[in-house]
Amino acid sequence: MSACSVTLRVNGSSARLEIDSRVTLLDALRDHLGLTGTKKGCDQGACGACTVLLDGRRVLSCLTLAAQSDGREVTTIEGLSGEDGELHPMQAAFVRHDGFQCGYCTPGQIMSAVALLEEGRAGSDEEIKEFMSGNLCRCGAYPNIRAAIRDVAQRPAT
Amino acid sequence: MTATSGPATGAPVDRVDGRLKVAGAAPYPSDVRYPDMAHAAFVRSTIAAGRILAIEVTAAEAVGGVQAIITHDNAPRLGRAAASVLGPPPPAPLQDDRILHNGQYVAVVVADTPQQAAEAARRVVVTYDRAEAALDLDDPRGESVANPFGWDAARGDVEAGLADADVVHEAVYTTADNTNNPLGLFTTVAAWQGDGLVLHDASQWTSNVRTTVAAAFGLPEPSVRVHAPYVGGGFGAGLRAWPHVVLAALAARVVRRPVKVTLTRPEMFTGVGHRPSTVQRLRVGAKRDGELVAIEHEALQSVAMEDDNLEPVSGVAADGYACANLSARDIQRRLNIPCPGSMRAPGHAQGSFALESALDELAYELRIDPLELRLRNYAETHPQLGLPWSSKALRECCAVGAERFGWTARDPRVASMTDGRWQVGYGLAGVSYPWWQVRCRVRVTIGADGTADVRSAATDIGTGTYTVMQQLAAELLGLELSQVRVGLGDSDMPWSPAAGGSGLTGALGNAVHLACKAVVERLGELGRRTGESYADVLARRGLTELSTDAESTPPDPQVLGMAPSGAFAAKFVEVHVDRDLGVIRIARIVSVVDGGRILNEKLARSQIVGGTIGGIGQAIFEETITDAETGRIANATFGDYLIPVNADVPDIEVTFVGGPDRMTPTGTKGIGEIGLAGIAPAVANAVFHATGRRIRSLPITIDRLLQP
Repeated sequence: MSACSVTLRVNGSSARLEIDSRVTLLDALRDHLGLTGTKKGCDQGACGACTVLLDGRRVLSCLTLAAQSDGREVTTIEGLSGEDGELHPMQAAFVRHDGFQCGYCTPGQIMSAVALLEEGRAGSDEEIKEFMSGNLCRCGAYPNIRAAIRDVAQRPAT
Repeated sequence: MTATSGPATGAPVDRVDGRLKVAGAAPYPSDVRYPDMAHAAFVRSTIAAGRILAIEVTAAEAVGGVQAIITHDNAPRLGRAAASVLGPPPPAPLQDDRILHNGQYVAVVVADTPQQAAEAARRVVVTYDRAEAALDLDDPRGESVANPFGWDAARGDVEAGLADADVVHEAVYTTADNTNNPLGLFTTVAAWQGDGLVLHDASQWTSNVRTTVAAAFGLPEPSVRVHAPYVGGGFGAGLRAWPHVVLAALAARVVRRPVKVTLTRPEMFTGVGHRPSTVQRLRVGAKRDGELVAIEHEALQSVAMEDDNLEPVSGVAADGYACANLSARDIQRRLNIPCPGSMRAPGHAQGSFALESALDELAYELRIDPLELRLRNYAETHPQLGLPWSSKALRECCAVGAERFGWTARDPRVASMTDGRWQVGYGLAGVSYPWWQVRCRVRVTIGADGTADVRSAATDIGTGTYTVMQQLAAELLGLELSQVRVGLGDSDMPWSPAAGGSGLTGALGNAVHLACKAVVERLGELGRRTGESYADVLARRGLTELSTDAESTPPDPQVLGMAPSGAFAAKFVEVHVDRDLGVIRIARIVSVVDGGRILNEKLARSQIVGGTIGGIGQAIFEETITDAETGRIANATFGDYLIPVNADVPDIEVTFVGGPDRMTPTGTKGIGEIGLAGIAPAVANAVFHATGRRIRSLPITIDRLLQP
């Protein structure tokens, strides 16, 4: 193995890590920074549970090496809530619409949903269905996830 | 819905653990870290049968950070616990050189980091003496076991009934292996503390993990503590303490450090069970007017060479319909496969596909509406026990469902309805998921501040146990929701059965009922005045807390003179099939469910919707494919094993009917599986109605639809 030095800027804080060059962004967040909100569901880029925002765009952190994220802006589920613990509107909508059961895919779903709105892809149920299909939910919360996203998308911007 | 509502019960309150989950703050076993924790990775067999000749570890040991490599050569002998209600635990791993299935663990590598462990595991070289493997359900070399659960059922005289029938429908139905695939990769963190062992495990049943692991290491049960406050789904995969759990504890003992093992997604296909494939032969006889006069249901299923699985398949026929002559038989065939296990609606998922498809075929042969055929053979009493049901609103399920779905708008002729290039079909199924309950304990404690703690070893795997037990206890104690805390997922808490078999809400709910009643009674004995707060009573009597344990036990049907009822449901499905491409779209689903008393309609609805989506997976997507040559699972990734995604799922309508069940004080019936049961046959029946093609094999894929 070879070690490398990486600076991760996560949720507004900066951390310098000396890590195995094989460490993914997902493992760096979870194992090195203690940010365990981002979940590992397959480690193969196929389930979306590890979705985070990298420079504002949604990426699969299990397919992104920590080294690739050097110096870039990472936002995780822990970075969505306000400093006073107030939930992001999308988080609150997921609770209200029961958009999860076991909760394991939920951080990834919410990060994807937040990005979806930024992408302008939440215009219709068909769009939401299509552009949320990279996030698997085995408990089967899809209709409620759509309801939560619709709810937030239809609100006037504040 | 018509469920009765107390002050806090029935209300569609938000999930009490929702805030933690949406913030990414709910602690799953995979989130647990210990200082100085090591990481384990597995080496798995690449053959399905034979023996290990040698395991070469030199290259693996050379990887930096490797702490130990454990194989059958150096692993200690491990014990095996007695059977639970689900049967014996899995055989202890790494005990000899025999290979019984592809994917069997043959070595554990422990290293400082997960990356090092994974690399070293890849460098372990295993040589085998390969033997012929029995892999196919038709392979006569696999030993077959008749009546494996002792649950085969018979009444009347099937042959006489068939001889008396005007129409006999006979067909074979098959279902594929399916894999549970909860999103959460199963993780065990094991930490020895003195002679005791602490486990953080993705389990649906902490009490069972404790029993299994204690027996493996010869420990008294109280020295093992299992934590599972949050679990990333299970769907049955977490009902047993699978070998990786024992191996995590073993690895931790060998390296004298806490050890974490997280299964890879491919390992989730071979290490934690799966829904076994079936071949089911049905013979159903009826009179011209639709009266059923004989049902014979014989179900062959796969099981592992040296492990067991409780999977009653043909039981659906035994208590589904009023029919005087019945034979329902299960047969298991032992194969060189990873051991199957429960997967949402075990047995019923497969059995109801065959039975409800066969009834649909019979309806067409008799030219009777499929809904009418089912109502004509409605079981007013339990057909096997001859006792009245403790509750049954299936007739109402059918009526309400037909109304909401618009069943009467259906043109009964096949291939008669279209929407552009899409062929449109309506299908239905009527189902039950049987009652299941085992004893359960709980502790309810009133603290000095007058608030209550409810504690049990039970787990909440996403079903909403935290929430509904908080609601139930608040109602019974006369407290606000916010004055009750529920602590779950800790084997040091009072013994609980599994979160499985649609049995926990009843078992735990009834225990909560008993404990809360006892607490209120005790407060009365302490001289509580009307309206006096619990805090004041305790203060006046100089008590810091008041605590009561209670145990619920399953009622005896014969004593009560009632047949215990599970949930009932009617499922209505509309499919669209592309006439040229064979693409199937589920256009809409209406589910009407008699779930007894519903404690929280919002969460109950989510349970049914989730089960329904699992049913869509079983119906048109899911098939675990075993390579016929090597016994390797050939599609063990989410890229290859298809499960429903958001775009596959329409909005799903759920309605609850019926009222509290008479069997128990809480009046609930489990609803974890009823959402799934019946979806696959309703889809198959709708596909037939749309296309005239009867698909008797699951999943119903494009290639099966396009086959000439």
